[in-house]
Amino acid sequence: MNSFIYHLGILLVFPPLLLGVIGKTKAFFAGRWGPPLLQGYYDIFKLGRKQPVYSVTTNWIFRMGPMISTAAILAAGIVLPISGLKAPVQFGGDMILFVYLLALSRFFMVLAALDTGSSFEGMGASREATFACLSEITIFLNLAILALLSKSLSLSGIFLGGLSSSWGQVGPVLILVVVSFFLVLLCENSRIPVDDPETHLELTMIHEVMVLDHSAAELALIVYGQALKLFLFGCLIVSMIFSFKIRNIAAEAAFFTSGFFGLGIAIGIVESAMARLRLNRVLYVLYAAFIFSIFAFIVILVRGHA
Amino acid sequence: MTLILYCLLILAVSIPLMLALARFKKISAHVYLGSLVVACALGLFSASGVLSRGIAPVDFRLAGTIPLGEFYIGMDALSAFFLLLFFILSLAAGIYGYGYMRDYKGGRNLPAHFSLCHLLMIVIILVVVAKNAVLFLAAWELMTLASYFLITFYNEHERVRKAGYVFLIATHTGTFCLLGMFLLMGVHAGSMDFDRMAMAPFPLGMAAGIFVLAFLGFGVKAGFIPLHVWLPHAHPEAPTHVSALLSGVVIKIGIYGLIRIMSIVKDFPLWCGIVLLATGIVSGVAGVLYALGQHEIKKLLAYHSIENIGIITLGLGIGMIGRYYHQDTVSYIGYAAALLHTFNHAVFKGLLFLSAGTVIRSTHTGEMDHMGGLLKWLPWTGHLFLIGSLSICGLPLFNGFISEWLVFRSLLEGVFHLDMCGIIFSTAAIVALGLIGGLAALCFAKAFGTVFLGHNRSEHEHHHNMEGDFVLVAPVAMLAALCLWVGLFPQEMVSYAFQGVKSMEGAAVPVVFRQAILGPLLSVTKVLFAGIAIFLFFALLRRIFLGACRVTWTETWGCGHAYTSSKMQYTASSFARPVLKIFRSVVLFRIKSEIPKRYFPAAGQLNSGVKDISEYFVFRPVFYAVKKVSRGLKWIQGGRTQSYILYILFLLVVLLIWKLR
Repeated sequence: MNSFIYHLGILLVFPPLLLGVIGKTKAFFAGRWGPPLLQGYYDIFKLGRKQPVYSVTTNWIFRMGPMISTAAILAAGIVLPISGLKAPVQFGGDMILFVYLLALSRFFMVLAALDTGSSFEGMGASREATFACLSEITIFLNLAILALLSKSLSLSGIFLGGLSSSWGQVGPVLILVVVSFFLVLLCENSRIPVDDPETHLELTMIHEVMVLDHSAAELALIVYGQALKLFLFGCLIVSMIFSFKIRNIAAEAAFFTSGFFGLGIAIGIVESAMARLRLNRVLYVLYAAFIFSIFAFIVILVRGHA
Repeated sequence: MTLILYCLLILAVSIPLMLALARFKKISAHVYLGSLVVACALGLFSASGVLSRGIAPVDFRLAGTIPLGEFYIGMDALSAFFLLLFFILSLAAGIYGYGYMRDYKGGRNLPAHFSLCHLLMIVIILVVVAKNAVLFLAAWELMTLASYFLITFYNEHERVRKAGYVFLIATHTGTFCLLGMFLLMGVHAGSMDFDRMAMAPFPLGMAAGIFVLAFLGFGVKAGFIPLHVWLPHAHPEAPTHVSALLSGVVIKIGIYGLIRIMSIVKDFPLWCGIVLLATGIVSGVAGVLYALGQHEIKKLLAYHSIENIGIITLGLGIGMIGRYYHQDTVSYIGYAAALLHTFNHAVFKGLLFLSAGTVIRSTHTGEMDHMGGLLKWLPWTGHLFLIGSLSICGLPLFNGFISEWLVFRSLLEGVFHLDMCGIIFSTAAIVALGLIGGLAALCFAKAFGTVFLGHNRSEHEHHHNMEGDFVLVAPVAMLAALCLWVGLFPQEMVSYAFQGVKSMEGAAVPVVFRQAILGPLLSVTKVLFAGIAIFLFFALLRRIFLGACRVTWTETWGCGHAYTSSKMQYTASSFARPVLKIFRSVVLFRIKSEIPKRYFPAAGQLNSGVKDISEYFVFRPVFYAVKKVSRGLKWIQGGRTQSYILYILFLLVVLLIWKLR
């Protein structure tokens, strides 16, 4: 029970910080001072206190969708280890539950968008669901590769020690997987070059347009859910990179935090250096991610590591 | 066993009773309902008894009843598992059918229709419990005929007659393969009894031959791509409760047949497993892609049946591969996954078809692009359809997730325990299953979103609301409850599936494997309940935040457009377009449009759709060729009885010479 509370506590508190790091990095590259590091928290609280506006077309799905969606992402976080902290629930095959809970979250966001009957939101929903199909297969292939390398079927088994010897043996494979996961992270969390999280307008016709009609507490939950999803994908990448064991909680936490700041800065650099891609080019990002992970798979097979 | 016999007896007696009372429509319908409920209750009791105790009852045998064969039936756990799903779905679809047909005003003979429903039930039960190949084939053939007459209920429409015709030809071609297969097995084993066949060792070469014939024969029924061409025609044209039975049970009988053969022959070459796995991948991915291209709701559901058959086949395929490598973990979990998904698919597909039927009856159309916003108008049906959608997409909380998780688990075990070839194929299957999951979610977001959410797209008023009818809602709600029950407390059904595997393999499933599955499933339940608790926490939080606020209700924001119309919404076709464009070369996705030009635009139009490759490029050319050849041979079948008798005489003479030689 205690581990449940610690874990959920971390997941509830830290994610918006990552948004702040990205924002600061982007501001640095733009030569600005930028919003404070805690801007994500301010936004969420500000939105939470606003008056809601609902469309008369909508049903309960519109109002409950963000809640179900964010709850599903948080539940997915339960099976993911954070830093050296074991996941409160772990079992062989929990990686599938992880991916499917994220899918559940997306499904309800898509339905909430369709519930408004707006063509803009329908458009966003359609695109979000389409890109998700392609990023999901990459996630599955990557997870299968990691399972093969670490001889473990659970996320905790993979990230808490299962990979520790792999960096020495098949380092290039892991680099390919990390790159592939990073591309998926950009796409799943609607970052530039796939989507622009800065605006809710029609210019960014994927994720952000899907939440066009949400307001107040629901929008706050959506913003938090976004940050949480980014945090979870970040966890995957950071714990892959720091997969060696130190057996010192303080040192591990320090490594992990610095890894996270690094990730935030990396995303910020990508966002500053690139423009948003045209919609039909977004697919190439996803194809690239999938091909990277196929290469990784082939290398493992050839190395006979299995 | 006696219970099943009573159940058969009740069904058999009620058929002539219903026909005799045909003039009193109400009484005859009540006879139908009563006999259905009693028979299903008996059947459910008997099947679940076998599954929970794990002991098969004594076989029943009437010697010498059929030439070469006999009336020999028995119920092991495998049969009981299929009977369980059959009775659950028959009960729901039967009650629904009673309500659905109640205000039918056409000229067809309803008691005859209900009698055919009962006949279909009898022969399906016989197929599942038959322990003799001749009895199996006879019941199989009757099943085809009964389904044919049920499909062609609305035979005043030409496309219904055509669909029935395609169904008849396809399944008869399949039966032809089965005849050959059983002859091969019977001659080798020296008996047509399944028990005796199971004792005979089959050499690998013969096993391969049997596999090919079984794959073709049962695959046609099950709807493996590319043998599926009849399915998307036949399922949508039948009355809804029949569609539910066809998609939920009849195609599963194809799977049952395949599993039965696998339990008799046991050892197959490696490529057989690979063929099954590859078929699973192709059927799953192509099935859901074709479904995405459909505009008609029942046709969409029919293609989804193909997708789910693909998932079941993935489980069977990895199980067979695991068996070849003697990796029991892989094979046991794979088979259990296939069985459980068979059950789950029957439940949620029945649920979806029946609720789609209510929608179609209420709106008098099946075109999704003409619907919209029905959740407010048909709240029960809408929410039940939502539960069905969540289940079929394999999303957590509902039963689809449990069986898809099992398939994933068996594939991951395959990645661990098999050699290079096995790893490649199981990884490919993992990726394919991931893709299937994503596409299915997209497809049902499309179906539920366009039908039940947003504004209504058609101008004319709805005809009548069918929802007030209790018998149309209650059976569907029962199926939905079952989806949720299996999704949250899967232990019972998983152990039933393991009982089925036990009778398939002939050996008890080791406790280790059971624990390897049941333990994680308990953890899944834990996470899901934690998720529900988190949701409630968020709901509370929202209540607190919103407590003091004034809520404003207004129109959906139209980005500055003052007068938005319901026609401006995203339609089902536009929702599916991006993904179909990606896969356009696989599913032959084409858009034809006539864009209005000039200053005073004339009417424009836009057409989008997918074309079934196997239908247009495989079966059509083949059947045209067959037609051409048979035209040439027409003179043999001149229609004169005398010449037919002459043929018989010739044949007898030839046989006599052959025998005397």
